[in-house]
Amino acid sequence: MNALHTDSLAALIAGTLFDLLRTKQAYLDPGSGSYLLQLLIAGLLGGMFAIRASWGKIKNFFRRGPKNEEELPSDDEQS
Amino acid sequence: MTNSLRHAASFRDPSGFLFQRKGTLYRQVNEVYRPEYERLTESGLYKSLLDDRLLLEHEEVDVPPAEETKAYKIIRPERLQFISYPYEWCFGQLKDAALTTLEIQKRSLQFDMSLKDCSAYNIQFHNGRPVFIDTLSFERYREGEPWTAYRQFCQHFLAPLALMALRDIRLNQLLRVYIDGIPLDLASNLLPGRTKLNFGLLSHIHLHAASQKHYADKTVDKKTVTRRMSRVSFLGLIDSLERLVQKLEWGMIKTEWGDYYDSSLNYTATALEDKRRIVQGFIERIHPENLWDLGANVGFFSRLASDNQIPTLAFDIDPLAVELNYRSVKSNGERYLLPLLLDLTNPSPDLGWNNEERDAFIKRGPTDAILALALIHHMAIANNVPLPMLAEFFHQMGSWLILEFVPKSDSQVQRLLATREDIFPQYTQESLEQIFAEYFTIVESVKIEESERTMYLMQRKTG
Repeated sequence: MNALHTDSLAALIAGTLFDLLRTKQAYLDPGSGSYLLQLLIAGLLGGMFAIRASWGKIKNFFRRGPKNEEELPSDDEQS
Repeated sequence: MTNSLRHAASFRDPSGFLFQRKGTLYRQVNEVYRPEYERLTESGLYKSLLDDRLLLEHEEVDVPPAEETKAYKIIRPERLQFISYPYEWCFGQLKDAALTTLEIQKRSLQFDMSLKDCSAYNIQFHNGRPVFIDTLSFERYREGEPWTAYRQFCQHFLAPLALMALRDIRLNQLLRVYIDGIPLDLASNLLPGRTKLNFGLLSHIHLHAASQKHYADKTVDKKTVTRRMSRVSFLGLIDSLERLVQKLEWGMIKTEWGDYYDSSLNYTATALEDKRRIVQGFIERIHPENLWDLGANVGFFSRLASDNQIPTLAFDIDPLAVELNYRSVKSNGERYLLPLLLDLTNPSPDLGWNNEERDAFIKRGPTDAILALALIHHMAIANNVPLPMLAEFFHQMGSWLILEFVPKSDSQVQRLLATREDIFPQYTQESLEQIFAEYFTIVESVKIEESERTMYLMQRKTG
């Protein structure tokens, strides 16, 4: 992926998210970009985290045998 | 209370503020922060953080508040030896500060709390380790809400670390210009293009910067945002940042003085041992309360003090020397030595609002004893500082001075003079003694064996 493609992708994603959220005018928050980016990447990061955690559990299961570990959350809701 | 002096950097957060009274530092917790403070202490989070030495300990005290109408409690934080700033830290220190912050955030989530800010200035190095100092940075975690401190974490930690590791180690000095962390669009511009192929850097720096730019001139009402951020996503975000920071490493490029002691420039084994013996003797003789080693390299001589439980700061201009020194501090579990980056020809200035938020290097002194070994020729010849100005500088900075004089005949000075005219007729041992005698009593001078250099022990003249 070159820099031009990445920048275009970033603009497309940001634009899409903005369109999704464009409803009414209110207070301008300088942290809006950071706030909304988190929401955009939340599902992916949550999914990756859950998979890694599950994979760790599977590896532990085969290494040490079944073990009652703390329950890991598995859902990542997007409404 | 008129005898309370509010700390100049403690004004942003309405939860409380720091103030000083009769030389003791207190923190006022305001009534508005009561629910969060009680949650911190009663949930077990405070104890958990203290058990792992992640948070600075405090004591609730019964003293009059500085602003009575707002006050809920007054606490007295454990005293820190020295306040250092992120632009004075080496790569490893900033990285450990970032990982400590993320560890605290993860721990907080276990107790249904979260960090509401992520300033690198909330970390200090205490007893050899990074510790979080702002007791009022914790708030109740609200499931569904994104992390309010995300932007600040990226600006204060991730951007400088990525720039230091992947572009140039000296870019941490941008933190001196940007007090609220490096702007992400600047970091994005400065980072190599290949970093856009790294998912973490693409998301947290490049897309983050693009998103900030896109929304900079747009109005977004967060109440209309229906999308939520689950706890798993929140943990995923912290995990992603943590893994990214952990993977960032500095390639340890050799710098000018990085292998100083290895190559043993200008010292025979006998001379080095004799210098060590003299310095040790001077330190034992004065047994200072604290010591600043200016030009400490990797801390060989600093440890003559810190190994004897004398709180010691080891300053050096070379990022590699400070990095190596810090790594030794970590691996040896040293509690009394703090390596820091310092360009003595341009030390940290007063910064921030009203030039009062971050103190200049000089304001954080004086110290009891100064160690200035193999330093004076760099100041006097490489940087053209006249000897009287050097004497005055040392005079204001310490009660005791352990100074090494390096004469012109020394090959290190010859090297400095090789490509320039010698405009330093005053740079002689006789002049030095005469000039410094105006500011100090020369208690002892000893010539280093197998060397042309002389060690001085001087005591500041008062009055």
